[in-house]
Amino acid sequence: MKREPGGEGMERQGKVQDEWTVGGHRFSSRLLMGTGKFQDAETMVGAVLASGAQIVTVALRRVGRIPREDDMLGPLGELKEITLMPNTSGARNASEAIRAARLGRELCGSPFVKVEIHPNPHHLMPDPIETFEAARVLAAEGFVVMPYMPADPVLAKRLEDVGCASLMPLGSAIGSGNGLATAGMLRLILRDARIPVIVDAGLRSPSEAAAALEMGCDAVLVNSAVAASGDPVAMAAAFAQAVGAGRNAHRAGLMPRGGGTALATSPLTAFLSVEGP
Amino acid sequence: MTPRMPAWLDPSPWPDGRRATPADVERALACDDPDPRELAALLSPAAHPFMEIMAQRARALTRRHFGRIISMYAPLYLANYCTNGCAYCGFASDRVQPRRRLELPEAEEEMAALKEMGFEEVLLLTGERTSHAGFDYLLECVSLAAQRFHAVGIEAFPMTTREYALLAEAGCSGVTLYQETYDPRRYDLLHRWGPKKDYLDRLDAPARAMEAGMRTVGLGVLLGLSDPVFDAVCLLRHAGHLRRIHWKSGITLSFPRLRPQAGNFAAMFPVDEAWLARLVFAVRIVLPDVPLLLSTRERPEFRDGMAGLGISKMSAGSRTSVGGYGEAEPATEGQFQVGDTRSVPEFCSMLRSRGLEPVFRNRDSVFRDAEAGGHG
Repeated sequence: MKREPGGEGMERQGKVQDEWTVGGHRFSSRLLMGTGKFQDAETMVGAVLASGAQIVTVALRRVGRIPREDDMLGPLGELKEITLMPNTSGARNASEAIRAARLGRELCGSPFVKVEIHPNPHHLMPDPIETFEAARVLAAEGFVVMPYMPADPVLAKRLEDVGCASLMPLGSAIGSGNGLATAGMLRLILRDARIPVIVDAGLRSPSEAAAALEMGCDAVLVNSAVAASGDPVAMAAAFAQAVGAGRNAHRAGLMPRGGGTALATSPLTAFLSVEGP
Repeated sequence: MTPRMPAWLDPSPWPDGRRATPADVERALACDDPDPRELAALLSPAAHPFMEIMAQRARALTRRHFGRIISMYAPLYLANYCTNGCAYCGFASDRVQPRRRLELPEAEEEMAALKEMGFEEVLLLTGERTSHAGFDYLLECVSLAAQRFHAVGIEAFPMTTREYALLAEAGCSGVTLYQETYDPRRYDLLHRWGPKKDYLDRLDAPARAMEAGMRTVGLGVLLGLSDPVFDAVCLLRHAGHLRRIHWKSGITLSFPRLRPQAGNFAAMFPVDEAWLARLVFAVRIVLPDVPLLLSTRERPEFRDGMAGLGISKMSAGSRTSVGGYGEAEPATEGQFQVGDTRSVPEFCSMLRSRGLEPVFRNRDSVFRDAEAGGHG
């Protein structure tokens, strides 16, 4: 049975729409984009367009009320049909993230917030305790809370219980390019999740994004993998294709793994055909 | 009396590391978790033929972790009063030169000039703690700066944890404090008098700043004062020690190099550009996720080449004299000679021509209070 928490296959004008829903908002693209690390705004916008992303995350520490050259909101504001998801990157604890999220709602006019709390600025691993606390408060305030989190199945359920709109477990450390190092944990999260699961962080190649979607993830978020690639715009397009392929493969259903299960004789169960007393 | 180095500040594998072989260098480059042994190998003479490979690795790691951007900051000299006798410093107490501090309205003018240049991250500098420019003065300047800038750091004298906490509360998020040299004998010789003679107090200060809640602490050595391999290994040990204990704070590393300046002090261990570049590459390879800074001490051609090649954060348009930004004729000499005198727009267009985006915004203030957006 396919897991479809946020996804619905719908017949519409004879064509199958494969949309997913987060916080009551409907999206068709399953690729979310980050906006940091690009060499210039033009490349960033080009990559966002090539990715077909409908949700784009911006670091609040890069946003201001007065537009400037290195301001992320200016160039993104020109894009139509993009949902801005401010993130609290840089916050070290729940209270900092909550302050930043409120500011983000004011500046971006978006109810979406990617709660990102990493007390250690070097490996940037999310703090599960502070993330839970911030998510609890912000969900109660009506935010569409998308928590960046360790790939922990128990934390996933706890975050779901306090009203998060999605889960954003990491594939591996931010910017590491180590791919789906947490695959085993992701499968446990996916098995029980009632809200969309978006793999965030650690991906390097489109094939890893495809693998995440094949596994049943609802979407992936990439940034470094695109921004730090040789050609960010072309790489964004490649990720879009991979995400589409992975999703289609998931919906089609992979064949069972492995061989050697077909045996002509049944030496261990032959006794079962012998009638008992 | 020469102070004793604490056990965690172990300079090994110095000095034997200099005997590394090309095979050691290759092992260091292939190592998943490089440590001081690998750093020493990459700084050994055997690494010389590997310079291009190291540069490529440094660029790839910098791009992966920091992206195609250079974070921008500016120094702001508040005062040049000093009671220390640092043999190498233009502001040392025996140097005859005009002494002054910026009065608060003057400091505000300097801040306004920096804002006009586009800066959002400022580093406030003073000399040693004096009656002219002590803790209370610095605290007032931090409060003024925090109302205007996204991020405020200080580079001043070692303080108590309580003092650092008060600065953090006032909006200071970074403390820069170079040990200058980790060699206690050389340190004692070069710091001829004044509070800075206390090697261990200075060594411990970054930990106090972190304990007080500073987001980042900047470490560094002044290249030229001692054996640079010794100092580089100790710098790495210091960074590792702090990271293990104060895991919620970040570290940045700087690479100031002794150039001719007011005191006409000749470096006893001169470091040339090629060696400095190698040091930056090696440190980047060993610490892929630590911001590495390069100031305007260096000449434009060198800075251009190093941007993104390990270096992830730079200053531009800097003045190292007190009142250097707002005043046509600054009354004091600079602490050091600026090697790159290009304007901020010139520097930024150079970065862009190299596929790097200068980023001025780094709004620590987002996390301070919800009203901070008003200053954007």
